[in-house]
Amino acid sequence: MSEISTEDRNAMRDSFARLLAAQAGEKALRETMASPHGFDENLWKSMAEIGLLGLIVDPEYGGIGGDAQILEDLMEEAGAHLLCSPFLSTAVMAASLISASSEESLKAELLSSICDGSRIYAIAATGEGGLWTNADVGIEAHKTGDAWILDGTASFVLHAEKAGHLLVLARSGTAIRVYLVDPATDGVAIEKLETNDPTLRLSRIRCAGARGTALDGVDETVIEAALDLVRVALAGEHAGGVKKIFDLTVEYLKTRYQFGRQIGSYQSLKHIAADMLIEVESAASAARYAAKLQAAGSPEAKAATSLAAFACADAYRDVSAQAIQLHGGIAYTWEHPAHLYWRRARTGLWLFGSSDQHRETYLTCLETA
Amino acid sequence: MMAGNEAHISNDNLAAELNAWLDAHWDEERRCEKDAARLDVGSWLGKLLDAGYSVPTWSPQWFGRGYDSKQARVIDDILKARKVIGRSQDRYNLGAVTVYRLGSEQLKSALLREMLTGAHSCLLYSEPNAGSDLAGVRTRAEWVAGEDGGEYIITGQKVWTSNAKGATYGMLLARTDWDVPKHSGITFFIFPMQQDGVDIRPINQITGESEFNEIFINEARVPARNIVGELNGGWKVLQTALAYERLIMGEGATERQGKVKSKVPPLVELAKRHGKLQDPVIRQKMAQAIAYRQLNALNMKRAKAEIIANGSSSLMSLGKLAMSRIQHGEARVAADILGPASLLDGPDFQDSAEMNFDSAKAYMNSIGGGSDQIQRNIISERILGLPREIEVDRNMPFREVKSG
Repeated sequence: MSEISTEDRNAMRDSFARLLAAQAGEKALRETMASPHGFDENLWKSMAEIGLLGLIVDPEYGGIGGDAQILEDLMEEAGAHLLCSPFLSTAVMAASLISASSEESLKAELLSSICDGSRIYAIAATGEGGLWTNADVGIEAHKTGDAWILDGTASFVLHAEKAGHLLVLARSGTAIRVYLVDPATDGVAIEKLETNDPTLRLSRIRCAGARGTALDGVDETVIEAALDLVRVALAGEHAGGVKKIFDLTVEYLKTRYQFGRQIGSYQSLKHIAADMLIEVESAASAARYAAKLQAAGSPEAKAATSLAAFACADAYRDVSAQAIQLHGGIAYTWEHPAHLYWRRARTGLWLFGSSDQHRETYLTCLETA
Repeated sequence: MMAGNEAHISNDNLAAELNAWLDAHWDEERRCEKDAARLDVGSWLGKLLDAGYSVPTWSPQWFGRGYDSKQARVIDDILKARKVIGRSQDRYNLGAVTVYRLGSEQLKSALLREMLTGAHSCLLYSEPNAGSDLAGVRTRAEWVAGEDGGEYIITGQKVWTSNAKGATYGMLLARTDWDVPKHSGITFFIFPMQQDGVDIRPINQITGESEFNEIFINEARVPARNIVGELNGGWKVLQTALAYERLIMGEGATERQGKVKSKVPPLVELAKRHGKLQDPVIRQKMAQAIAYRQLNALNMKRAKAEIIANGSSSLMSLGKLAMSRIQHGEARVAADILGPASLLDGPDFQDSAEMNFDSAKAYMNSIGGGSDQIQRNIISERILGLPREIEVDRNMPFREVKSG
């Protein structure tokens, strides 16, 4: 459980919200998504200054020692603004993996570079199948003398182009371990993938005899925990995003007139809005519950995380799709923001496991409860 | 009245006082008054009422103790644990609550004691042509002069009344003015059920049950002094009565929710019994159905926390609509698990019979007490602030309103 007080948590969320309002409005968002690397370096620096990048890093290593709950809370703000940044890969996944490392000096150096915003981390965690399972890891590690040599392909890697370090999941025998790789080293090729969501940055990484450093102490359990943490973070982002696009839609139903009346007075539309509200609130409930159980180290956290993962992703998909329909023609234009939420919604359906996979995991947890 | 009748008594003292009183007066094993030959409901309820334990949140003038809901909860918990008949009538006795909250002093004097000592009441709201549109009631109330304000002659048909047989009173909505718009010509009566001209016929429901009745009223009588609120002011009274009803139903629902504690969901057990637990398509459907139930429980938990923090929560009103999707959805998945066996029924096919019952019973939630479509209107208008659909009959004299 985190030591952070409720007042500090609220203050943190407020300052993040102010920062996003000032620097990550729709105009800034559209500039950022059109930029080569898909994130705003000034905003990234500001996030480091208010302590966000070290959110889950232990204070001993320069962070603020936050838990899943505060992370989820802040991600709701990020989601409402469609924040594009390497936050999930750097401040959540990399921070989580590295924090479990048993090599003190390396750990201290890496974590400090996360907290101060000086280095972006990209995580090569899944293969071409994009399943985020152990079986789908597509890179093999072999020991040659003292060095680890990596061969194979990883895909769906977030924000790899500007990464100062890659954390590569690779198989050695039957074990999956994490290797620190310099992207500039020989035998590493990073290939940008074109994405449907312009706010998303994905790459394929090919390793051919690339040299890496094993992160001692980081095993399958740590990897699974890091994935579950990022799932809760993404669920929180979705809960915030789905609420925002829903609010925009309800507002439109009140201000748009057709046939001499507000279109929100038609039952064919307002009934859809009522159904959407259940999805929006369920998403928030699920994300917050999963975060709470993770922070408490509950044995039911796995089930709750899977539930949040598919409930939030599906809610975001359905509500953002209806949002376009309810807006009508105006939302069929690139200038209207509805499609950006609709595109972002797809990330939760496929990043870190699919909704169908999460439903399967959820049921398995309940069966064995 | 007994000692300890101060609203500021501590919970411990209150519990001690009540337990001592019960030791002296209640036989827990035989569930009757101590030293009585058998249970006399009226006599026992009278005793509990006079001791101040039936309606503890009401004012001392009307059988209560002016307690807050926490003190009432202390009493309720003890009465429940000791299997006492007649607990928390200030929450569960809808007829008495309506009279207490909305009736005149005269009406309270005339009816409250009777209503709290065993004379139960039923609801006479819906009609065959006034379901979702309850303000369209066509049961006729004609005034005739007489002593004490005269009386009304009632003729019409009511429907979906539970607990009608044996009811002493019916809470009746009837039309007293046909020349004003529909909401403005309705009066709320406490109507005596035990009289000529009141014919009760059970409804055979699609579940095979008969909880509800149709009530045919033909020139039956109700004294003018039994009007609750104002003449032609029945719609306003109804809104308050409905709010109490929803409160009671909501509490019941959350209490029932709290009791479901089996760890492994029933759908998983069903799939296991029928060899479908490894079917990947069934697994997806089960997970989704179970998730909807858990998501609703999480929403209601948040609602409760919000109510404690802020006094109200808009989340609460999502529960009923969500429950429709849950109940219909679970029954559908159960049918998918059973496959062709879902065609069967009866004691030899217990799982099929249960699924068939549940799939019919799910309509109780999605139609009864305001259909899903009415719930969506309520949510979108009261929570989201969307405008009302235009009502063509809103300002029309009721006489001219189309019906059918």
